[in-house]
Amino acid sequence: MKRLSELEYGESGFIREIRASQYELNRLGIRMKKQVKMSTRQPIKGPVVVVVDDMEVAMGLDTAEGVVIETEGHEGS
Amino acid sequence: MADTSKTVLMMGNPNVGKSALFNRLTGGDAVVSNYPGTTVDYTKGVLIESGQEYEVIDAPGTYSLEARDAAEGVAVRLISENPDATVLIVLDATRVERGLYLALEVIERGCPVIIALNMIDAARDRQIAVDARMLQKILGAPVVPTSATGGEGIRNLAETIRKAQKADIANVRARADGRFDEPARSGGCAECGRCGGC
Amino acid sequence: MALPVQERWDLVDAIARKTVTTGTHRQTLGDVLGDLTVRPLTGISVAVAVLYAFWSIFSSFAGALVTDGFMVKAFDNYWLPWLQEVWPDPASIHYFLFVGDPLAENCFEAFGMLTSGLFVSIGVVLPAVLIFYLMMTVLEDSGYLPRLAVLMDTVFHRIGLHGYAIVPAILGLGCNVPAVTATRVLETRKQRFIMMSLLAIFIPCGAQIGVMLEVIPETVGWVMLYLVIGFGIFGFVLDRIIPGSNPEILIDVPPYHWPLWDNVAKKLMNRTKSFLKDAVPFVLFGVLIVNVLYLAGIIGALADLLEPLFVIWFGVPKETVGPLVAAFLRKDLAVAQLSAIAMTPYQMITSVVLVSIYFPCVATFVVMLREGWKELAAAVAVLVATVFIYGGLIHAVGILMGVA
Ligand SMILES: Nc1nc2c(ncn2[C@@H]2O[C@H](COP(=O)(O)OP(=O)(O)OP(=O)(O)O)[C@@H](O)[C@H]2O)c(=O)[nH]1
Ligand SMILES: [Mg+2]
Repeated sequence: MKRLSELEYGESGFIREIRASQYELNRLGIRMKKQVKMSTRQPIKGPVVVVVDDMEVAMGLDTAEGVVIETEGHEGS
Repeated sequence: MADTSKTVLMMGNPNVGKSALFNRLTGGDAVVSNYPGTTVDYTKGVLIESGQEYEVIDAPGTYSLEARDAAEGVAVRLISENPDATVLIVLDATRVERGLYLALEVIERGCPVIIALNMIDAARDRQIAVDARMLQKILGAPVVPTSATGGEGIRNLAETIRKAQKADIANVRARADGRFDEPARSGGCAECGRCGGC
Repeated sequence: MALPVQERWDLVDAIARKTVTTGTHRQTLGDVLGDLTVRPLTGISVAVAVLYAFWSIFSSFAGALVTDGFMVKAFDNYWLPWLQEVWPDPASIHYFLFVGDPLAENCFEAFGMLTSGLFVSIGVVLPAVLIFYLMMTVLEDSGYLPRLAVLMDTVFHRIGLHGYAIVPAILGLGCNVPAVTATRVLETRKQRFIMMSLLAIFIPCGAQIGVMLEVIPETVGWVMLYLVIGFGIFGFVLDRIIPGSNPEILIDVPPYHWPLWDNVAKKLMNRTKSFLKDAVPFVLFGVLIVNVLYLAGIIGALADLLEPLFVIWFGVPKETVGPLVAAFLRKDLAVAQLSAIAMTPYQMITSVVLVSIYFPCVATFVVMLREGWKELAAAVAVLVATVFIYGGLIHAVGILMGVA
């Protein structure tokens, strides 16, 4: 288990828990059991960009910290 | 006024091509850009189809009927201020799931709806297949695949607006679970003839 | 009947399972580009390159090619001398209002409605906004803006905003009017208020930048630098003193696609049309009104009254009061007017910055009013304080550098 904010580039996993902003995240397709892949993480506490259902979503770091992921390893990116 | 001109309100997620579709339908000048939140205010236009005049309203995009910012607030206000309007729900065929949430919310309010399955060209390019007939069957309202940029399906959409249907959410759920029998007849499908005999 | 949220999502899933099948998706060029332009290392280099290209195309095309190469010649060598010759009675009031100074050698100095007014609006600003809007449309249509928002998020987060504030900011560089409405993409009132204030104060519009490139090409960089620094400082301060929350960025990043020529052409047409329809008459009447105010002695009286503030506090000549009055109508006009006043380069920088920050133009003022009068009143209060503090600060910097 990892937080979404801790995923490495190209690492992916399944969403197991959404601790905060659930409603807002759901609206953008970030939902329980969905597969997510980390696309980029900006430096100095910047936002992260993740891929869900082949679509990119950008979110703040604190928001990403509230999402718990069961990782499944890297996908050659 | 109500019997001369009908109101058609366009609703959908941000960046699904509502304004592009609006321009196609009405010959309007709504701004079209490739980022969510281009439209932050509403635009009205006129469509005349088979002798019927429609006042079409292009709304800002919203993910749900619970507004999170002022632009979404405009969209939500529009739908409550136009309770008799036909709602033209615009879905992005490459991310149908996302748009369905809003579509269901609109259907639950009891609005007559018609669904444009826009960006059908982009979905094809991305190898995403959406079964428009099945979607129409389940929702009990007409579904028309369109490409606002390519022009595909626009005529069809304009002609189909008059067939907009109210749907009962309980029936939608039954059909989504595969129970197409009774409720499908009474609730949704109004023999619009577009679904090839459901 | 309304479903509970979770049940609605379950239904969405059920419907999607029955209707959507995804094949294997090939990575497209757009996806690869998409990755590169948001990765920190490559993304920031790309952003710098994009903004630099934007700026250099803008300045070379608008400033050098069109205006100097064609418009200046046409207006100064043919239009102005012709008008000066055929317009009767150089000593009359109508000559002063419409043609301006009978001895002027160029259209900036003459300052009549048909000389400076037409030259500024058609000769200088029109080519500038055309090229500006062309490039902005390409940025908008390609899908680059949300990526830029991601890259800028960290910076904007320090000033009570989040990265998506880049959308109104960039629109504001074209014209502040649509930008004020575009602040609706921000979530809280605090964010909207900060963005609106910063827009009205520190973001010069395309028309103004166009004139700056023409009249002060060597120092326009300094002006922009002062504006960017001011944007940062005052945003930081506003973030501390304005109550309310600053939620994080949460946006869809759409795939790239090529701008569609039809759409680009259409937007360009519409924006140009609205410039000709809305802005040009404003510039022309602006010149007329300013000239009438001069004739009535109002600007002279105002200049005498404000002389201590301007000379001592801001360190600029009292003649700059006139352009500041014009700035309420059109900023481009005000900058053009400044160029005819004798000043040191540093005074010029200061006064151009003052014109930019001192008050939103009347069109912007009106849309701000529409978004809420309380916000507008508060923004004006912020603005007065800002002009006073920042104007003095720039003067102080000049003194320290030994140039003021
Ligand atoms: N490939 C493809 N692109 C489309 C289609 N319709 C719209 N687009 C593009 O999608 C982007 C968004 O279009 P808009 O019409 O501005 O979307 P909108 O729904 O009005 O967006 P908001 O106003 O932000 O809610 C633009 O870049 C369009 O060119 C379509 O059918 N196919
Ligand atoms: Mg739109």
